[in-house]
Amino acid sequence: MNNIRNRIEHQFAAFARKIYHHRFKTIFLMLIAIGALLSQLPTIKIDTSTEAFLHKNDPALLTYNDFRDQFGRDEVVIVALKPQQVFDAIFLKTLAKLHTELEENVPYIDDITSLVNARNTRGEEDLLIVEDLLENWPETEDQIQEIKQRALSNPMYENMLISKDGTFTTIIIRTQSHSSMGLEDEIMDGFEDFDDTIEVSADTERKYLTDEENTEVVLAIEKIVEKYRSPDLPIYLAGSPAVVHFLKQAMMSDMQKFMLLAVLAVAILLYVMFRRVTGVILPLVIVILSLLSTISLMAISGVPIKVPTQILPSFILAVGVGSSVHILAIFFHRLRKTKNKEESIVYALGHSGLAVMMTNLTTAAGLMSFSNADVAPVAEIGIFASAGITLAFIYTIVLLPALIAVIPLSSKKTETLRKNNRIMDSVLESIGRFSTTHPKKILFVSFGIIAIAFVGMFSIRFSHYPLKWLPETNTVRVATEKIDKELNGSMSMEILFKTDRENGLYKPELLNRIETAGVDFEKISFKEIFIGKTWSVTTILKEINQALNENDPDAYTIPQNKPLVAQEFLLFENSGSDDLEDFVDSQFSMARLTLKVPFVDGILYDPLEEKITAYLNKNFHDVDFQITGLVALIAKTFNNTITSMAESYLIALCIITLLMVILIGRIKIGLLSMIPNLAPIILMLGVIGWFGFPMDLFTMMIASIAIGLAVDDTIHFMHNFRRYYDQSGDPKKAVFETLHSTGRAMLVTTIVLSIGFFIYMFASMQNIIRFGFLTGFTIIMALASDYFIAPALMVLVNKKRA
Amino acid sequence: MNIIFRFIGLTLLITFLIPVSFAIAEDEKAREIMQNVDDRDDGDNQTSNMLMTLIDKHNKERIRKLSLFSKDKGEDTLRLMFFIHPADVKDTSFLTYDYDDPDKDDDQWLYLPALKKTKRIASSDKSDSFMGSDLNYSDMTSRNLEDYDFFLKKEIQVRGKDAWVVESIPRSKDIIDETGYSKSLLIVQKDIYFVVRAVNWEKTGGYVKYMDVVTLEQIDGIWVGTEMHVAKKKGKQTVHKTILKFNNVKFNQGLEEDLFTVRRMEKGL
Repeated sequence: MNNIRNRIEHQFAAFARKIYHHRFKTIFLMLIAIGALLSQLPTIKIDTSTEAFLHKNDPALLTYNDFRDQFGRDEVVIVALKPQQVFDAIFLKTLAKLHTELEENVPYIDDITSLVNARNTRGEEDLLIVEDLLENWPETEDQIQEIKQRALSNPMYENMLISKDGTFTTIIIRTQSHSSMGLEDEIMDGFEDFDDTIEVSADTERKYLTDEENTEVVLAIEKIVEKYRSPDLPIYLAGSPAVVHFLKQAMMSDMQKFMLLAVLAVAILLYVMFRRVTGVILPLVIVILSLLSTISLMAISGVPIKVPTQILPSFILAVGVGSSVHILAIFFHRLRKTKNKEESIVYALGHSGLAVMMTNLTTAAGLMSFSNADVAPVAEIGIFASAGITLAFIYTIVLLPALIAVIPLSSKKTETLRKNNRIMDSVLESIGRFSTTHPKKILFVSFGIIAIAFVGMFSIRFSHYPLKWLPETNTVRVATEKIDKELNGSMSMEILFKTDRENGLYKPELLNRIETAGVDFEKISFKEIFIGKTWSVTTILKEINQALNENDPDAYTIPQNKPLVAQEFLLFENSGSDDLEDFVDSQFSMARLTLKVPFVDGILYDPLEEKITAYLNKNFHDVDFQITGLVALIAKTFNNTITSMAESYLIALCIITLLMVILIGRIKIGLLSMIPNLAPIILMLGVIGWFGFPMDLFTMMIASIAIGLAVDDTIHFMHNFRRYYDQSGDPKKAVFETLHSTGRAMLVTTIVLSIGFFIYMFASMQNIIRFGFLTGFTIIMALASDYFIAPALMVLVNKKRA
Repeated sequence: MNIIFRFIGLTLLITFLIPVSFAIAEDEKAREIMQNVDDRDDGDNQTSNMLMTLIDKHNKERIRKLSLFSKDKGEDTLRLMFFIHPADVKDTSFLTYDYDDPDKDDDQWLYLPALKKTKRIASSDKSDSFMGSDLNYSDMTSRNLEDYDFFLKKEIQVRGKDAWVVESIPRSKDIIDETGYSKSLLIVQKDIYFVVRAVNWEKTGGYVKYMDVVTLEQIDGIWVGTEMHVAKKKGKQTVHKTILKFNNVKFNQGLEEDLFTVRRMEKGL
């Protein structure tokens, strides 16, 4: 083992020498390669949508895509207005004006509905009327009262267009489900291929509405709504497209902030450590190039930046700088002794190259444990963060020697640096003394703390709750919570019933069951979740049946005769409304049942879906059904988070244990070294449990990221401890020497890393704030456990040799 | 009047009734062409059978069969349709009075045999789909030549015949709202003044409807399109398609006005 290690160290030294000699060629070639990569940088996209959390081939997303191909997008922007009086001549005019202005100016609108154009089906003697509610503008107070009567008695409007107590009214905007990108008005082309038979082409190639288009929609709506908003007329803007837009806005401004802060923090710490401009510039150039290359790799692979991936830039900056720090620490130390740049860098790489490589390997391994995750952006973080770390390592060992070769460096040592180091040394010394003299006490207390944390792990609560990511005062969050309360929900779950037979829906028996299911589902309510309203094709059928029977409220039922059902549908199709498209397919073989629910935690959507599935299994055993809609996607993301977490933890644990054993070369010590590695992780999970933080896809990533980083300190500690123990045979002395030599670099890298994560506490999103705090905390705990638990263990396990 | 074209959506282009004495910023030649289209004999007292195939984006078909009757009454048109297929809606029938007077909404009655009731349908909006097809009600009713500006765009050949391409632009927003189309391109076959193709831009959603008269036959000296395809497209994507086939087309059948009454409609075929 020692032999192999020596050989690798020699190779690192030889490599550094080669680079040093071919400095210009190296820099030139690297610049070309990096330049080519960076040319792709501008094509990077951003995607904060709900479906972006699932892989493109996730069965839940495929079902959802089928659904939106058939029925269009189920996400709507809800504009809720709270006038003094809804049914008031002046307000209705304002509503109509706003409606028209939105309709004419907001891009990509598929459908816009409000009281102005709500479908109103009724009978007047032999006349069947299907018209917009405000088609004939009410002029007199009596007419307004008549409209009010019609609106309040229509079950379909309740909690959809007007709140139950009649104080809120809404404009519901549904955008097109497909992107307009790449569709040009080449009308004459379309005309020419007319000579061929018109083939109805498959829909597979079309893109769904993009994040940019979604943003255009929300911005256009916001701009218009702002003009109408007043103290007398509060207007709330909610719905998942608005949430998605505001997440994106928060993310864009946060990311810039994070990167700036990360660069600043890293620069200050580098200066404190090295007291040299080159000591700041060189590592920064290397990590910034690594970061930009990583983002370019994402752009090339067509992977957009999503809500979780926003942590990537500052993460790579903070973690990637570690390699340079460790090598430069040795290099500057050596340079002062030898005054020879070439010898010093060759020595530094020979001395630290292997340890740096191993630490990068463990960090990448921790991250790679995500690469298989079912939550798409988590998998993407796994792949691209480990790619970024690897790039940072490669750039470090290639560019650092070459740049050092071309930059003039002095070998002076400043007074302040010496003073700094003296303070640091005396602190580290007392830590070493404490941990080696009271090893048993330290372990006893540590295990006590770990045991308490371990108990806390059992009260961990899982979560996937994008709305709560927004700050409490965020207008969209406030509006969504308001609408959830006043209008019984802002999100939808969709159930598709597939008879697989043309006109399969003409059967009254099946329609009755769908109707009953809707009624039964409306009774479901537990914790914060409830089903606020359900509707389906039966709603239209009841409406038309009532209208055909002189508006008799008793006739608001499904006709129990198959030809009559067929004829009523035919009548509706010809009455001037195309609303049936929203409820059934053109074959009348598939029906859609929509359930309106509030925007709550994914942990609640999951049991809701189970309850509904159980009901459907019992009552619709003869019909194929599918559950989909945005809510189902959130439920699926929630489930995927848990399975991904379990897998990721297991993979990270196995790979890192294996790496530790290989690196240390002895199974027993390798396994033992996992104690200081795992202690901070268990502690962090305990904190999550005890303090009731949600375990979501952000907090879930902490353990695997932190273990990859925590291990780095342990590797440096063990690496040096062994070397010094082999030399002196005295474990106490070896601990002191280890803390003296590598302990300082460990401290600096820990400070850099924890600050790199604490930066996220300046985020606007709650989830990112928690992520930053907990990761920074874990990293500091990891250092503490290497300063206390690791020495205590080593002193107890290794006997003092004579 | 030729009922077929009213049903298949070309009537709007063919049956302009009021000639325009002057035109502003438009094209005299284009208007002359459209006037000739309008003046072409399209027959009267017609009976026929229609087979309507609706094809959705998943290539699934629905078939409807109807029996059609039509008669001119002065400048108005009376129409009666009976459903023959599918079985569930057999004998369901439609009666339409299409008034020439632009200020008068058309009258429509629908008879539902399962309910044994006739209902009059009131709807002034003509931009909605007709029986789930890619045609809307405005495609089936006559509109005024004076509501549009026409421009001759170019001359092309369609299936080896010379044709004009005429652009038609509604003169007011009301017309756009009523018909659902913001503009149209009409391809008129020169020798018979027949609109053999048309492109209609929908006012919302970015859809464009392509209509193509695939089979043109001369029956009793009158030109009739007996097969027509309509495709609703967005960009290059066809989202829905309708195929209409007519057979047994006969003119001058001496239809009585009595036929076009609610009482007669309720009796069935």
